[in-house]
Amino acid sequence: MKQSAIRTLVVFSALFCFFVAGFSLAEAKSAGKIVIGHPACLSGKYAKAGEQAIGGIKACIDWVNNVYGGIKVAGKKIPLKYKYYDCESKKEAVTSLIGRLVTVDKVNVVFSAYSSGLTLRGAPVTESHQMLYMDHGGANNKIFRQGFRYIVQTIGPATSYHQGTLNMIHKIDPKAKKVALAYEDSEFAKMVMHGAEKYAKKLGFNVVFERTYPKGVTDLTPLLSALKASKPDFILGGGHFEDGQLFNRQLADLDIDTKALSLIAAATLPAFYKALTSMAEGVMGPSHWEYGVKYSAGEAKKVGLNWIGPNQDEFVALFKKALGKNIIPDYHAAEAGAQVLAYVLAVEKANSLDSDKVRAALGDLEFMSFYGGWDVDDTGLQVGHSMVDVQWQGGKRVIVWPEEAQTGKPCYPMPTFAEKAKGKIAVP
Amino acid sequence: MKKEITKYYPLIPVFTAYLFLFLVGKNISGMWQLVAMLLFYCAMGQAFNIFLGMTGYVDFGYVAFMGVGTYGMALAITNLAHIEGLGIGIIIIGFILALLMSTLLSMAVGAVALRLRGAYFAIATIGVNEGFRFLIEGARIWNGSEGLIFTAQLNQILGREAASSLMTYWADIMVLFIAALAAFVTLFYMRSKIGYALTALREDEDAAKVMGINVTKYKITAFITSACFAGLVGATSWALKTPYVFPPEVFEIHYTIEAIIIVLLGGAGTLLGPVVGGLIYGISKYYLSIFMPGFQLLIFAPIIIIIIVLFPEGVVGMLKSRTKGSVLARFII
Amino acid sequence: MFLEQLTGNLIQGIVLGAVYGMATMGLSLIFGVLKVVNVGHGAFIMVGAFVTLWLFNALGINPILAVPVAFAVGMGLGFIFYYTTMQRLIKAPELATLLATFSIGILLEELVKLTFGSEFRGYNWVVGKIDIGVTVLPMSKLYACIGSVIIALLLYLWFNKTRAGSAVRSVVEDSEGARVCGVNVGGAYALSFALGIGLTVASGVLLTMFIPVGINPYMGGGYTLKAFVIAVLGGLSSPYGAFFGGLAFGLIENGSYTLFALIPGVEPFALTRFLSFVMLLAILLIKPTGLLSTK
Repeated sequence: MKQSAIRTLVVFSALFCFFVAGFSLAEAKSAGKIVIGHPACLSGKYAKAGEQAIGGIKACIDWVNNVYGGIKVAGKKIPLKYKYYDCESKKEAVTSLIGRLVTVDKVNVVFSAYSSGLTLRGAPVTESHQMLYMDHGGANNKIFRQGFRYIVQTIGPATSYHQGTLNMIHKIDPKAKKVALAYEDSEFAKMVMHGAEKYAKKLGFNVVFERTYPKGVTDLTPLLSALKASKPDFILGGGHFEDGQLFNRQLADLDIDTKALSLIAAATLPAFYKALTSMAEGVMGPSHWEYGVKYSAGEAKKVGLNWIGPNQDEFVALFKKALGKNIIPDYHAAEAGAQVLAYVLAVEKANSLDSDKVRAALGDLEFMSFYGGWDVDDTGLQVGHSMVDVQWQGGKRVIVWPEEAQTGKPCYPMPTFAEKAKGKIAVP
Repeated sequence: MKKEITKYYPLIPVFTAYLFLFLVGKNISGMWQLVAMLLFYCAMGQAFNIFLGMTGYVDFGYVAFMGVGTYGMALAITNLAHIEGLGIGIIIIGFILALLMSTLLSMAVGAVALRLRGAYFAIATIGVNEGFRFLIEGARIWNGSEGLIFTAQLNQILGREAASSLMTYWADIMVLFIAALAAFVTLFYMRSKIGYALTALREDEDAAKVMGINVTKYKITAFITSACFAGLVGATSWALKTPYVFPPEVFEIHYTIEAIIIVLLGGAGTLLGPVVGGLIYGISKYYLSIFMPGFQLLIFAPIIIIIIVLFPEGVVGMLKSRTKGSVLARFII
Repeated sequence: MFLEQLTGNLIQGIVLGAVYGMATMGLSLIFGVLKVVNVGHGAFIMVGAFVTLWLFNALGINPILAVPVAFAVGMGLGFIFYYTTMQRLIKAPELATLLATFSIGILLEELVKLTFGSEFRGYNWVVGKIDIGVTVLPMSKLYACIGSVIIALLLYLWFNKTRAGSAVRSVVEDSEGARVCGVNVGGAYALSFALGIGLTVASGVLLTMFIPVGINPYMGGGYTLKAFVIAVLGGLSSPYGAFFGGLAFGLIENGSYTLFALIPGVEPFALTRFLSFVMLLAILLIKPTGLLSTK
């Protein structure tokens, strides 16, 4: 009896020691490589965006290693390596995985996990290791007011999401004055809403409706009925993926017709049109990047910026190869990919892998890639990237704003839901 | 006298495990953040176990106490940061506020929900958690859904270097202390009248009442104690270590589930259980996410089902019955 | 203006409430018979949604015909999970059953994610709509509502007019007594668990008829919480109670929005949620047998 007890205890302690020993088993040293570490969101609530980001990063690393020939540091061309783990979209895992990436895997730069919360959670750890921390998924402006020194943003700040849409309507329909704002009640969407509200007032719009709906909502009818009663000329709103589809669908169900509808996050994704089909015709959405944008080496030359990276079609091909799936990348992929390119340029500029020097180089860096412009201010906030506004026209995404990036004219006002149900498509 | 000391023998394996974790984190490079995560799980399990393990009541809304603890600390930091000279005092005020808020909430919930039993209690506590979250968002209390972000204030209070080491090192040490303290309190309760009363309650609440035990008093004591520890864990792990609060993240019901899994893996109602459960849970998740990124939940779910069906008493529960009558039995409860 | 909006919302609330009620009957049935709270409830609704989506998009099958298919799928899943897991946990403490059903939910979510991916999907079933002045009702919503009422009636008939139904009823009232009278209690448990899951999966179809977008592996969480409130409104252990609880819930959720919107400086939508959980607590305390019971 006693012996078996001791045996059990020994077995358990042995197992425990085995686990602990596993911690320190460092990966085979990736000598002669520059490593990007990433606590990716492969599962959990941000799995969708996480998969895209991984694809984008892999695609651009592929380009850097095989087309560009590696990063030139101290006269030598060094290839990039990508090390990622799954953080399950949870904060506990983010810090422990970053800890491992920095100390065990000895990565040279850490890319943040998706969302402002997870990005913030990781920041103190990277800061304490004086490790460069690049943010492609946290749009909250407040991240950059916390005094972090090593964080640099690629995604644009949340407050600017709906400025393009407002500019557009301001210009093409000066008579449309009444705007309704209806966003998700989350830190990100609220920030977009505040930005939009401020900007709308600045342009002289009249905000006739301003409400939020909780995360995970399954029926928006009461809110939309109230919105209908305020008789807006156009609607700005949204939050994430599922609520955007719901929003548009229930507007159609309730026959609420306005001249324009712009939804953040959801509207620009192919799944949006696939789910809603004709109801999505004419619906717009701001996007950091969209397949079809006209950024090219020639364009870069015109505005006097450096160009780097694959062109758009090459990027899409590399992305499909990286994920082994036939899906078109969305802006989550593009911004993560562009971040790789920014890092490459900064390392070459600094001619060093030291985080302080690369961070300084990133501060001075300004370039263009398939993703568009890239430039950060002193705090690391992205200021050089402008968003585009996309509209669904005949089942295709057309970039309708800003005018210099247009792939087609905007359809304004968009057809009513009754017309769309009869098969009318949005054409300018 | 000697009996007094042997009473606390079971703390030896618990504290050894914590000491071991601390040494591993301190001395092996790259381990600290992992150790921090394990400590968080152990502390959460230990705190949760005080109530669930001893009474058998499943508090599904347990995470709400961690949430208000987080808010307590966050509010202290954001509201007091501008006062010069308080320095570290703000953190202490934060802890007091966290304790106060979790005590108040647990008293309110306890007065209401503890009249219910079994599934009714579980559902009522879910209601408390969700209701509280929507009250914060709906009435825009404490900045509503935009939450609070306060690294800048923390830097202002402590200076950049100190704030950084607080967020990445000292906060974890505090979690370690909270876990150890929770273990001590658990044992203290087990060995005192409250423990015997609650054991009677767990076996048969009505019989215990008939025997003249003041069941309600002990239940509420355990409930509030457990909630206070949750508040402290929230104030450290989610406020000092994670310098932001967004309501949907601190009232996330998945954390209750994790706490349940940890306690059940280790053995509900045992002292060593939450430590063992927390370690197994944390370590296996960590390795699954490293070696099989994206599949850990798919692997984890059936494992949990198998464990519930085949080993309902948990690892320490098994160990306890195996070691019955041997010298080791004195150390494992 | 205000009254018009309120009436419109209340009509929408009844239609929605019927579907919510039907979506909760499975939860209440399982709790009534097995005394098990199915925390993975939402995941089964999600399975129903995917069944509909797949049938509609891949085979072009009308969502109404998806109801029996989903019901059959649910019955199958119910029997599988009953005999592999739940059967061994009937006498276990709440802790074990809560965690087991939760894990089953996660398992389903991850399996669906593995097969279909985490994309947000939807389908577009065009059947027109009717304008009733104060609001507009799409026909698909009406069908979902009518379908819910029919299923609730069928369940009522099954319980009261069939042998199997009355066996289950006798187990609910007194499982020991039923055993003595020669009722196969184990069989009744298995049957009611499977039936409960079947109803839940079928309700997933009706819910997508109501909201045919946003279908993804993790969509169930919100429905689980709603179902708890509704089940409690209806007395937790009675499937018909749940149906009427759903109606009450739909009315309160939609009606209270219009009222909360009158308060300045708050988010009315979040407050409707707050109200529903306050109701949950109040009912549990004052009348745990449910609002509608006469006990």
